[in-house]
Amino acid sequence: MSRGDERALAELYDRYGAAMFGLARAITGHPSDAEEVVADAFGQAWRLAESFDSTRAGTFAWLAMLTRSRALDIVRARHRRERVEGRAARATIDGFALPVASLAALPDRHAELLDLRTRVESALSELPPEQRRVVELAYFGGLTHSEIARETATPLGTVKTRLRAAMEKLRVALAAYMDVG
Amino acid sequence: MSDHSWLDFAASYALDTLSPEERTAFEAHLADCPRCQAEVRAHREVGGLLALAVPAQSPPPGLKGRVLREAARRPAARRMGSRMSGGWLAAAALLLVAIGLGVFGWTAREGRRAAERQLARTRSDLAARDSLLGALLAPDLAWARLTTTDAAPSIRLFWSRSQGLVVLAAFRLPAAPVGRTYQLWGIAEGGAPVSVGTFNTSVDGQATATFHVDPGAEFAVSAVTEEPRGGSVQPTSAPFLVGSWQAGP
Repeated sequence: MSRGDERALAELYDRYGAAMFGLARAITGHPSDAEEVVADAFGQAWRLAESFDSTRAGTFAWLAMLTRSRALDIVRARHRRERVEGRAARATIDGFALPVASLAALPDRHAELLDLRTRVESALSELPPEQRRVVELAYFGGLTHSEIARETATPLGTVKTRLRAAMEKLRVALAAYMDVG
Repeated sequence: MSDHSWLDFAASYALDTLSPEERTAFEAHLADCPRCQAEVRAHREVGGLLALAVPAQSPPPGLKGRVLREAARRPAARRMGSRMSGGWLAAAALLLVAIGLGVFGWTAREGRRAAERQLARTRSDLAARDSLLGALLAPDLAWARLTTTDAAPSIRLFWSRSQGLVVLAAFRLPAAPVGRTYQLWGIAEGGAPVSVGTFNTSVDGQATATFHVDPGAEFAVSAVTEEPRGGSVQPTSAPFLVGSWQAGP
Protein backbone atom coordinates (compact mmCIF):
# COMPACT_ATOMS: atom_id res chain seq x y z
CA MET A 1 0.00 0.00 0.00
CA SER A 2 1.53 3.25 -1.06
CA ARG A 3 1.67 6.31 1.16
CA GLY A 4 -0.26 8.31 -1.39
CA ASP A 5 -3.14 5.89 -1.20
CA GLU A 6 -3.21 5.97 2.58
CA ARG A 7 -3.20 9.74 2.50
CA ALA A 8 -6.13 9.70 0.09
CA LEU A 9 -8.05 7.40 2.43
CA ALA A 10 -7.29 9.62 5.41
CA GLU A 11 -8.48 12.65 3.49
CA LEU A 12 -11.65 10.85 2.47
CA TYR A 13 -12.30 10.05 6.12
CA ASP A 14 -11.55 13.62 7.24
CA ARG A 15 -13.94 15.01 4.69
CA TYR A 16 -16.81 12.57 4.96
CA GLY A 17 -16.35 10.48 8.09
CA ALA A 18 -18.73 12.63 10.10
CA ALA A 19 -21.38 12.61 7.37
CA MET A 20 -21.13 8.82 7.11
CA PHE A 21 -21.28 8.42 10.88
CA GLY A 22 -24.36 10.63 11.01
CA LEU A 23 -26.00 8.57 8.27
CA ALA A 24 -25.12 5.31 10.00
CA ARG A 25 -26.55 6.58 13.30
CA ALA A 26 -29.74 7.70 11.60
CA ILE A 27 -30.28 4.28 10.04
CA THR A 28 -29.11 2.01 12.86
CA GLY A 29 -30.16 4.11 15.82
CA HIS A 30 -27.10 2.87 17.80
CA PRO A 31 -23.74 4.68 18.06
CA SER A 32 -21.80 1.42 18.45
CA ASP A 33 -23.45 -0.05 15.36
CA ALA A 34 -22.73 3.20 13.54
CA GLU A 35 -19.02 2.83 14.36
CA GLU A 36 -19.00 -0.70 12.96
CA VAL A 37 -20.80 0.49 9.83
CA VAL A 38 -18.37 3.34 9.16
CA ALA A 39 -15.36 1.06 9.66
CA ASP A 40 -16.88 -1.50 7.27
CA ALA A 41 -17.83 1.08 4.68
CA PHE A 42 -14.42 2.75 4.56
CA GLY A 43 -12.78 -0.67 4.51
CA GLN A 44 -14.93 -1.66 1.58
CA ALA A 45 -14.27 1.65 -0.18
CA TRP A 46 -10.57 1.01 0.26
CA ARG A 47 -10.83 -2.42 -1.31
CA LEU A 48 -13.11 -1.45 -4.15
CA ALA A 49 -12.24 2.07 -5.21
CA GLU A 50 -10.08 2.50 -8.23
CA SER A 51 -9.26 6.02 -7.18
CA PHE A 52 -10.25 8.41 -4.46
CA ASP A 53 -11.20 11.86 -5.59
CA SER A 54 -12.63 13.37 -2.43
CA THR A 55 -13.68 16.53 -4.20
CA ARG A 56 -16.29 14.91 -6.43
CA ALA A 57 -19.98 14.62 -5.59
CA GLY A 58 -19.88 11.19 -7.21
CA THR A 59 -17.34 9.96 -4.67
CA PHE A 60 -19.45 11.19 -1.75
CA ALA A 61 -22.59 9.59 -3.19
CA TRP A 62 -20.83 6.29 -3.81
CA LEU A 63 -19.44 6.21 -0.28
CA ALA A 64 -22.84 7.15 1.16
CA MET A 65 -24.58 4.30 -0.65
CA LEU A 66 -21.91 1.89 0.63
CA THR A 67 -22.46 3.19 4.15
CA ARG A 68 -26.23 2.93 3.80
CA SER A 69 -25.95 -0.69 2.62
CA ARG A 70 -23.69 -1.66 5.49
CA ALA A 71 -26.01 0.11 7.93
CA LEU A 72 -29.08 -1.72 6.60
CA ASP A 73 -27.17 -5.03 6.72
CA ILE A 74 -26.38 -4.48 10.40
CA VAL A 75 -29.95 -3.51 11.18
CA ARG A 76 -31.18 -6.68 9.50
CA ALA A 77 -28.52 -8.93 11.02
CA ARG A 78 -28.38 -7.64 14.58
CA HIS A 79 -31.91 -6.56 15.12
CA ARG A 80 -33.66 -9.46 13.49
CA ARG A 81 -36.48 -9.21 15.95
CA GLU A 82 -37.09 -5.59 15.13
CA ARG A 83 -40.05 -5.53 12.90
CA VAL A 84 -40.69 -3.29 9.98
CA GLU A 85 -42.60 -0.93 12.26
CA GLY A 86 -39.45 -0.20 14.26
CA ARG A 87 -37.41 0.67 11.19
CA ALA A 88 -40.28 2.69 9.77
CA ALA A 89 -40.61 4.68 12.98
CA ARG A 90 -36.93 5.55 12.94
CA ALA A 91 -36.96 6.51 9.27
CA THR A 92 -38.18 10.06 9.63
CA ILE A 93 -36.10 12.97 8.42
CA ASP A 94 -38.20 15.43 10.43
CA GLY A 95 -36.72 13.94 13.55
CA PHE A 96 -33.33 15.10 12.38
CA ALA A 97 -34.30 18.41 10.86
CA LEU A 98 -32.18 21.25 12.08
CA PRO A 99 -32.77 24.96 11.63
CA VAL A 100 -30.62 26.25 8.79
CA ALA A 101 -28.60 28.47 11.11
CA SER A 102 -27.25 25.53 13.06
CA LEU A 103 -26.12 23.76 9.89
CA ALA A 104 -23.02 25.90 10.10
CA ALA A 105 -22.18 24.29 13.43
CA LEU A 106 -22.04 20.78 11.95
CA PRO A 107 -18.64 19.11 11.90
CA ASP A 108 -18.28 19.25 8.13
CA ARG A 109 -14.90 20.55 7.13
CA HIS A 110 -15.72 21.97 3.76
CA ALA A 111 -18.18 24.55 2.58
CA GLU A 112 -19.39 22.62 -0.43
CA LEU A 113 -21.06 20.01 1.73
CA LEU A 114 -22.96 22.75 3.55
CA ASP A 115 -24.34 24.06 0.28
CA LEU A 116 -25.30 20.56 -0.83
CA ARG A 117 -27.07 19.95 2.45
CA THR A 118 -29.34 22.92 2.04
CA ARG A 119 -30.03 21.88 -1.54
CA VAL A 120 -30.98 18.36 -0.53
CA GLU A 121 -33.15 19.60 2.33
CA SER A 122 -34.87 22.04 0.01
CA ALA A 123 -35.42 19.40 -2.66
CA LEU A 124 -36.94 17.02 -0.10
CA SER A 125 -39.20 19.70 1.34
CA GLU A 126 -40.58 20.36 -2.14
CA LEU A 127 -41.84 16.79 -2.47
CA PRO A 128 -45.50 16.10 -1.75
CA PRO A 129 -45.66 14.61 1.79
CA GLU A 130 -46.72 11.15 0.61
CA GLN A 131 -43.79 10.99 -1.82
CA ARG A 132 -41.39 12.22 0.81
CA ARG A 133 -42.60 9.55 3.23
CA VAL A 134 -41.97 6.80 0.69
CA VAL A 135 -38.43 8.08 0.15
CA GLU A 136 -37.81 8.19 3.91
CA LEU A 137 -39.01 4.64 4.39
CA ALA A 138 -37.12 3.28 1.39
CA TYR A 139 -33.91 5.14 2.01
CA PHE A 140 -33.49 5.29 5.77
CA GLY A 141 -35.63 2.32 6.72
CA GLY A 142 -34.55 0.05 3.90
CA LEU A 143 -38.14 -1.08 3.44
CA THR A 144 -39.12 -2.88 0.26
CA HIS A 145 -42.10 -1.82 -1.84
CA SER A 146 -44.38 -4.36 -0.15
CA GLU A 147 -43.27 -3.33 3.32
CA ILE A 148 -43.88 0.32 2.49
CA ALA A 149 -47.30 -0.55 1.10
CA ARG A 150 -48.24 -2.37 4.30
CA GLU A 151 -46.76 0.30 6.54
CA THR A 152 -48.55 3.18 4.82
CA ALA A 153 -51.70 1.21 3.95
CA THR A 154 -51.40 2.14 0.28
CA PRO A 155 -51.52 -0.14 -2.77
CA LEU A 156 -48.25 -1.58 -4.04
CA GLY A 157 -48.60 0.12 -7.42
CA THR A 158 -49.06 3.50 -5.75
CA VAL A 159 -45.90 3.01 -3.71
CA LYS A 160 -43.88 2.22 -6.82
CA THR A 161 -45.28 5.22 -8.67
CA ARG A 162 -44.61 7.56 -5.75
CA LEU A 163 -41.03 6.39 -5.30
CA ARG A 164 -40.28 6.73 -8.99
CA ALA A 165 -41.85 10.19 -9.13
CA ALA A 166 -40.01 11.33 -6.01
CA MET A 167 -36.63 10.11 -7.27
CA GLU A 168 -37.17 11.81 -10.62
CA LYS A 169 -38.00 15.11 -8.91
CA LEU A 170 -34.95 14.82 -6.65
CA ARG A 171 -32.77 14.01 -9.61
CA VAL A 172 -33.92 17.13 -11.45
CA ALA A 173 -33.51 19.30 -8.35
CA LEU A 174 -29.98 18.04 -7.69
CA ALA A 175 -28.79 17.67 -11.30
CA ALA A 176 -26.46 20.64 -11.13
CA TYR A 177 -24.62 19.06 -8.19
CA MET A 178 -24.23 15.59 -9.58
CA ASP A 179 -21.30 13.99 -11.34
CA VAL A 180 -23.37 11.58 -13.40
CA GLY A 181 -26.39 13.81 -14.06
CA MET B 1 -41.33 -5.99 -21.37
CA SER B 2 -40.41 -3.02 -23.52
CA ASP B 3 -37.30 -1.04 -22.78
CA HIS B 4 -39.31 1.87 -21.43
CA SER B 5 -40.90 -0.33 -18.82
CA TRP B 6 -37.57 -1.54 -17.56
CA LEU B 7 -36.50 2.07 -16.96
CA ASP B 8 -39.24 2.30 -14.35
CA PHE B 9 -37.32 -0.18 -12.22
CA ALA B 10 -34.11 1.81 -12.15
CA ALA B 11 -34.82 4.09 -9.18
CA SER B 12 -36.14 1.28 -7.02
CA TYR B 13 -33.23 -0.92 -7.94
CA ALA B 14 -30.80 1.87 -7.04
CA LEU B 15 -32.39 2.09 -3.58
CA ASP B 16 -32.69 -1.68 -3.26
CA THR B 17 -36.45 -1.66 -2.71
CA LEU B 18 -37.30 -4.30 -5.32
CA SER B 19 -38.52 -7.73 -4.31
CA PRO B 20 -35.97 -10.52 -4.82
CA GLU B 21 -37.80 -11.73 -7.95
CA GLU B 22 -38.00 -8.24 -9.44
CA ARG B 23 -34.35 -7.69 -8.62
CA THR B 24 -33.24 -10.88 -10.33
CA ALA B 25 -35.29 -10.08 -13.41
CA PHE B 26 -34.05 -6.52 -13.58
CA GLU B 27 -30.40 -7.50 -13.10
CA ALA B 28 -30.67 -9.94 -15.97
CA HIS B 29 -31.96 -7.10 -18.14
CA LEU B 30 -29.45 -4.61 -16.76
CA ALA B 31 -26.49 -6.69 -17.89
CA ASP B 32 -27.35 -5.89 -21.52
CA CYS B 33 -28.87 -2.45 -21.28
CA PRO B 34 -26.53 0.57 -21.14
CA ARG B 35 -29.51 2.91 -20.94
CA CYS B 36 -30.83 1.29 -17.79
CA GLN B 37 -27.30 1.10 -16.40
CA ALA B 38 -27.03 4.87 -16.83
CA GLU B 39 -30.40 5.35 -15.10
CA VAL B 40 -29.31 3.21 -12.18
CA ARG B 41 -26.04 5.14 -11.86
CA ALA B 42 -27.90 8.45 -11.80
CA HIS B 43 -30.40 7.25 -9.19
CA ARG B 44 -27.59 5.81 -7.08
CA GLU B 45 -25.97 9.20 -7.06
CA VAL B 46 -29.22 10.86 -6.01
CA GLY B 47 -29.51 8.22 -3.32
CA GLY B 48 -26.01 8.96 -2.14
CA LEU B 49 -26.75 12.67 -1.87
CA LEU B 50 -29.83 11.92 0.25
CA ALA B 51 -27.39 11.02 3.00
CA LEU B 52 -27.07 14.78 3.45
CA ALA B 53 -30.64 14.94 4.71
CA VAL B 54 -29.45 13.85 8.13
CA PRO B 55 -26.87 15.76 10.15
CA ALA B 56 -23.24 14.72 10.31
CA GLN B 57 -21.96 13.69 13.73
CA SER B 58 -18.40 13.55 14.96
CA PRO B 59 -17.39 9.91 15.13
CA PRO B 60 -15.55 8.57 18.22
CA PRO B 61 -11.89 9.68 18.14
CA GLY B 62 -10.49 6.15 17.77
CA LEU B 63 -12.42 5.37 14.60
CA LYS B 64 -10.08 7.08 12.16
CA GLY B 65 -7.10 5.11 13.47
CA ARG B 66 -9.10 1.91 13.16
CA VAL B 67 -10.03 2.65 9.55
CA LEU B 68 -6.43 3.38 8.57
CA ARG B 69 -5.09 0.32 10.42
CA GLU B 70 -7.58 -2.00 8.73
CA ALA B 71 -6.70 -0.54 5.35
CA ALA B 72 -3.00 -1.15 6.01
CA ARG B 73 -3.77 -4.82 6.60
CA ARG B 74 -5.83 -5.30 3.47
CA PRO B 75 -4.88 -5.09 -0.19
CA ALA B 76 -6.10 -2.07 -2.08
CA ALA B 77 -7.64 -2.22 -5.51
CA ARG B 78 -5.45 -1.39 -8.44
CA ARG B 79 -5.46 2.40 -8.80
CA MET B 80 -6.67 3.05 -12.31
CA GLY B 81 -7.61 6.70 -12.35
CA SER B 82 -11.07 5.89 -13.66
CA ARG B 83 -14.15 6.00 -11.48
CA MET B 84 -16.26 3.17 -10.09
CA SER B 85 -18.98 4.05 -12.56
CA GLY B 86 -16.87 2.96 -15.54
CA GLY B 87 -17.82 -0.27 -17.33
CA TRP B 88 -17.18 -3.40 -15.32
CA LEU B 89 -15.67 -5.28 -18.22
CA ALA B 90 -13.55 -2.28 -19.11
CA ALA B 91 -12.17 -2.27 -15.57
CA ALA B 92 -11.41 -5.97 -15.77
CA ALA B 93 -9.76 -5.55 -19.15
CA LEU B 94 -7.60 -2.67 -17.96
CA LEU B 95 -6.53 -4.61 -14.91
CA LEU B 96 -5.57 -7.55 -17.11
CA VAL B 97 -3.47 -5.31 -19.32
CA ALA B 98 -1.74 -3.84 -16.28
CA ILE B 99 -0.98 -7.32 -14.99
CA GLY B 100 0.17 -8.46 -18.42
CA LEU B 101 2.60 -5.58 -18.72
CA GLY B 102 3.93 -5.84 -15.22
CA VAL B 103 3.84 -9.21 -13.62
CA PHE B 104 3.10 -11.97 -16.08
CA GLY B 105 5.85 -13.06 -18.39
CA TRP B 106 5.33 -16.75 -18.11
CA THR B 107 6.06 -19.02 -21.00
CA ALA B 108 3.98 -22.12 -21.39
CA ARG B 109 6.76 -24.26 -19.87
CA GLU B 110 7.25 -22.02 -16.84
CA GLY B 111 3.50 -21.93 -16.47
CA ARG B 112 3.24 -25.67 -16.52
CA ARG B 113 6.03 -26.12 -13.96
CA ALA B 114 4.44 -23.54 -11.67
CA ALA B 115 1.08 -25.21 -12.10
CA GLU B 116 2.60 -28.60 -11.24
CA ARG B 117 4.17 -27.19 -8.07
CA GLN B 118 0.89 -25.62 -7.11
CA LEU B 119 -0.89 -28.82 -8.03
CA ALA B 120 1.31 -30.76 -5.62
CA ARG B 121 0.59 -28.32 -2.83
CA THR B 122 -3.11 -28.25 -3.54
CA ARG B 123 -3.30 -32.02 -3.94
CA SER B 124 -1.95 -32.57 -0.44
CA ASP B 125 -4.66 -30.32 0.93
CA LEU B 126 -7.39 -32.00 -1.01
CA ALA B 127 -6.26 -35.61 -0.89
CA ALA B 128 -9.42 -36.88 0.75
CA ARG B 129 -11.74 -35.48 -1.91
CA ASP B 130 -12.14 -37.79 -4.90
CA SER B 131 -13.86 -35.43 -7.26
CA LEU B 132 -11.24 -32.76 -6.70
CA LEU B 133 -8.42 -35.22 -7.31
CA GLY B 134 -10.13 -36.23 -10.51
CA ALA B 135 -10.25 -32.62 -11.64
CA LEU B 136 -6.65 -31.93 -10.79
CA LEU B 137 -5.36 -35.01 -12.55
CA ALA B 138 -7.44 -34.46 -15.67
CA PRO B 139 -5.47 -34.47 -18.91
CA ASP B 140 -7.36 -31.39 -20.13
CA LEU B 141 -6.41 -29.32 -17.11
CA ALA B 142 -6.39 -25.55 -17.55
CA TRP B 143 -5.10 -23.18 -14.93
CA ALA B 144 -5.24 -19.50 -14.07
CA ARG B 145 -3.64 -17.30 -11.50
CA LEU B 146 -5.63 -14.31 -10.34
CA THR B 147 -3.81 -11.47 -8.77
CA THR B 148 -3.59 -7.73 -8.41
CA THR B 149 -0.30 -6.11 -9.31
CA ASP B 150 0.67 -6.30 -5.66
CA ALA B 151 1.92 -9.54 -4.13
CA ALA B 152 -1.15 -10.40 -2.10
CA PRO B 153 -3.73 -11.78 -2.21
CA SER B 154 -3.69 -14.41 -4.92
CA ILE B 155 -5.94 -17.12 -6.16
CA ARG B 156 -5.10 -20.17 -8.19
CA LEU B 157 -7.79 -21.77 -10.31
CA PHE B 158 -7.82 -25.13 -12.01
CA TRP B 159 -10.43 -26.12 -14.52
CA SER B 160 -11.19 -29.49 -15.95
CA ARG B 161 -13.44 -28.92 -18.93
CA SER B 162 -14.30 -32.57 -19.38
CA GLN B 163 -15.46 -32.91 -15.79
CA GLY B 164 -16.98 -29.48 -15.61
CA LEU B 165 -15.10 -28.65 -12.42
CA VAL B 166 -13.29 -25.52 -11.32
CA VAL B 167 -11.10 -25.80 -8.26
CA LEU B 168 -10.06 -22.67 -6.40
CA ALA B 169 -7.27 -22.14 -3.91
CA ALA B 170 -6.96 -18.69 -2.32
CA PHE B 171 -4.09 -17.28 -0.29
CA ARG B 172 -3.67 -14.15 1.80
CA LEU B 173 -7.24 -13.10 1.15
CA PRO B 174 -8.94 -11.47 4.16
CA ALA B 175 -12.40 -12.80 5.01
CA ALA B 176 -15.25 -10.86 3.43
CA PRO B 177 -17.09 -8.50 5.82
CA VAL B 178 -20.27 -9.59 7.64
CA GLY B 179 -23.11 -10.09 5.19
CA ARG B 180 -20.74 -10.17 2.22
CA THR B 181 -19.04 -12.91 0.27
CA TYR B 182 -16.59 -13.36 -2.59
CA GLN B 183 -17.89 -14.39 -5.98
CA LEU B 184 -15.97 -15.95 -8.84
CA TRP B 185 -16.94 -15.04 -12.40
CA GLY B 186 -16.06 -16.53 -15.75
CA ILE B 187 -16.06 -14.34 -18.80
CA ALA B 188 -16.04 -15.66 -22.37
CA GLU B 189 -14.59 -13.52 -25.17
CA GLY B 190 -17.01 -10.66 -25.65
CA GLY B 191 -19.45 -12.13 -23.14
CA ALA B 192 -21.01 -10.93 -19.93
CA PRO B 193 -19.70 -12.27 -16.62
CA VAL B 194 -21.15 -15.64 -15.63
CA SER B 195 -21.20 -16.62 -12.00
CA VAL B 196 -19.08 -19.65 -11.17
CA GLY B 197 -19.83 -19.58 -7.47
CA THR B 198 -19.32 -17.88 -4.13
CA PHE B 199 -16.71 -18.58 -1.47
CA ASN B 200 -15.20 -17.09 1.62
CA THR B 201 -11.87 -17.40 3.36
CA SER B 202 -11.13 -18.49 6.88
CA VAL B 203 -9.20 -16.40 9.39
CA ASP B 204 -5.84 -17.52 7.98
CA GLY B 205 -6.73 -16.04 4.62
CA GLN B 206 -6.98 -19.37 2.81
CA ALA B 207 -9.82 -21.02 0.99
CA THR B 208 -10.30 -24.03 -1.21
CA ALA B 209 -13.52 -24.57 -3.09
CA THR B 210 -14.90 -26.63 -5.94
CA PHE B 211 -17.44 -25.40 -8.41
CA HIS B 212 -19.42 -27.22 -11.05
CA VAL B 213 -19.50 -25.49 -14.40
CA ASP B 214 -21.15 -26.28 -17.71
CA PRO B 215 -18.89 -28.69 -19.60
CA GLY B 216 -19.44 -26.45 -22.61
CA ALA B 217 -18.38 -23.30 -20.77
CA GLU B 218 -15.77 -21.17 -22.49
CA PHE B 219 -14.01 -18.74 -20.19
CA ALA B 220 -11.19 -16.52 -21.38
CA VAL B 221 -10.89 -14.59 -18.15
CA SER B 222 -11.94 -15.06 -14.55
CA ALA B 223 -12.40 -12.42 -11.91
CA VAL B 224 -13.40 -12.08 -8.29
CA THR B 225 -15.67 -9.43 -6.79
CA GLU B 226 -17.08 -8.89 -3.35
CA GLU B 227 -20.87 -9.20 -3.27
CA PRO B 228 -23.72 -9.37 -0.78
CA ARG B 229 -23.96 -12.77 0.93
CA GLY B 230 -25.65 -15.22 -1.39
CA GLY B 231 -23.98 -13.68 -4.40
CA SER B 232 -25.35 -11.56 -7.21
CA VAL B 233 -26.69 -12.30 -10.67
CA GLN B 234 -24.22 -9.84 -12.15
CA PRO B 235 -21.20 -8.21 -10.50
CA THR B 236 -22.13 -5.16 -8.45
CA SER B 237 -18.59 -3.86 -8.10
CA ALA B 238 -15.33 -3.69 -10.00
CA PRO B 239 -13.23 -6.85 -9.82
CA PHE B 240 -10.29 -6.74 -7.46
CA LEU B 241 -8.67 -9.90 -8.79
CA VAL B 242 -8.49 -10.84 -12.44
CA GLY B 243 -6.65 -13.43 -14.48
CA SER B 244 -6.76 -15.07 -17.89
CA TRP B 245 -7.02 -18.79 -18.46
CA GLN B 246 -4.05 -20.66 -19.92
CA ALA B 247 -4.30 -24.04 -21.57
CA GLY B 248 -2.63 -26.83 -19.63
CA PRO B 249 -0.09 -29.40 -20.83
